[in-house]
Amino acid sequence: MANVNFDDVELDSALPELVRHVDQRVITRNAAASLDYNPIHVSPAWAAKVDLLGEGTTIAHGMCTFSFMTSVVTNWCAPSGGFVCGLESKFLRPVRPGDTITCKGVVSEKHPRQPGKGFVVVELTAKNQRGETVAVSTARVRLP
Amino acid sequence: MDDEIRVEDFLTTAKQKAFEHDFFKQADEYEKWEDVDFDAVHELDRTFTVEVEDIQSYSQGILDDNPLFNDEAAAAAGPYGGLVGHPLFLTPIAFWLTGDSGPGSWVRTPGAINPGQKIELYEHVRPGDVIRARSRFHDKWIKRGKRYLTYLTEYTNQRDELVAKWWATLILPTSRSDEAHRF
Repeated sequence: MANVNFDDVELDSALPELVRHVDQRVITRNAAASLDYNPIHVSPAWAAKVDLLGEGTTIAHGMCTFSFMTSVVTNWCAPSGGFVCGLESKFLRPVRPGDTITCKGVVSEKHPRQPGKGFVVVELTAKNQRGETVAVSTARVRLP
Repeated sequence: MDDEIRVEDFLTTAKQKAFEHDFFKQADEYEKWEDVDFDAVHELDRTFTVEVEDIQSYSQGILDDNPLFNDEAAAAAGPYGGLVGHPLFLTPIAFWLTGDSGPGSWVRTPGAINPGQKIELYEHVRPGDVIRARSRFHDKWIKRGKRYLTYLTEYTNQRDELVAKWWATLILPTSRSDEAHRF
């Protein structure tokens, strides 16, 4: 991946996108990795019993979708030593087993500071296979 | 069937094997939306000593194969000088430090829904770091019939450096029964 530095990053430039297919194995593995075992994620039987969110299926962790979006940023900046210093997200629609999530990011702001301390803002979206936005987030990234 | 996918099949690290993964078990003792103490500052008792396996397991759990978050040798030659956690590696740290009762245990409430999060990060998390947390009430509100709760938690390492601040918010169910959220 090309070197990413504050001076050369262009506003409105798009980061390479990331696509993830989500199934129950992915969700349950994420539960173990994140120590979040809320039954809405790991118990299809319970989700069916309570008719969770009206469709009765488990849903993926919001933090998992958030991590996919954040990985768009780290894939882009980490090899050059960039540092993610702020993250904010909103989860708009559930992600269900069988969904394919496409995450995209665009550099929307540049904040000049002393050398080595400038940061950019990346606006991110996550959409499912129906083109519906399931989550949005912003990442503040300090770039060398 | 999806029920054949067992949590137990994914427990690989020492912490994962030790952590209580049945969130129903002590659900009656979890902190409730209506009972939060507006003024208390909670120094959480537990610590999270970061192991290589913790970082690697989390990266695998979010399907991120970036060598800087997975491969010790590659990471040592990289810009951070060693393996570091993905920015959201804070997630298992948060759940581990909260434990299964006491302040902040509302995050384990069965049926709680995540509307979005806000995190500020100040330092990388590395193997060998010992992370502690201090947590306090930040806000609670009702909107369109849903009950939101936010705690602000500050995470520090063994050098007393601030590692992160997390404004953690969940929508909490109104009942301990099996009533589902309906939107």
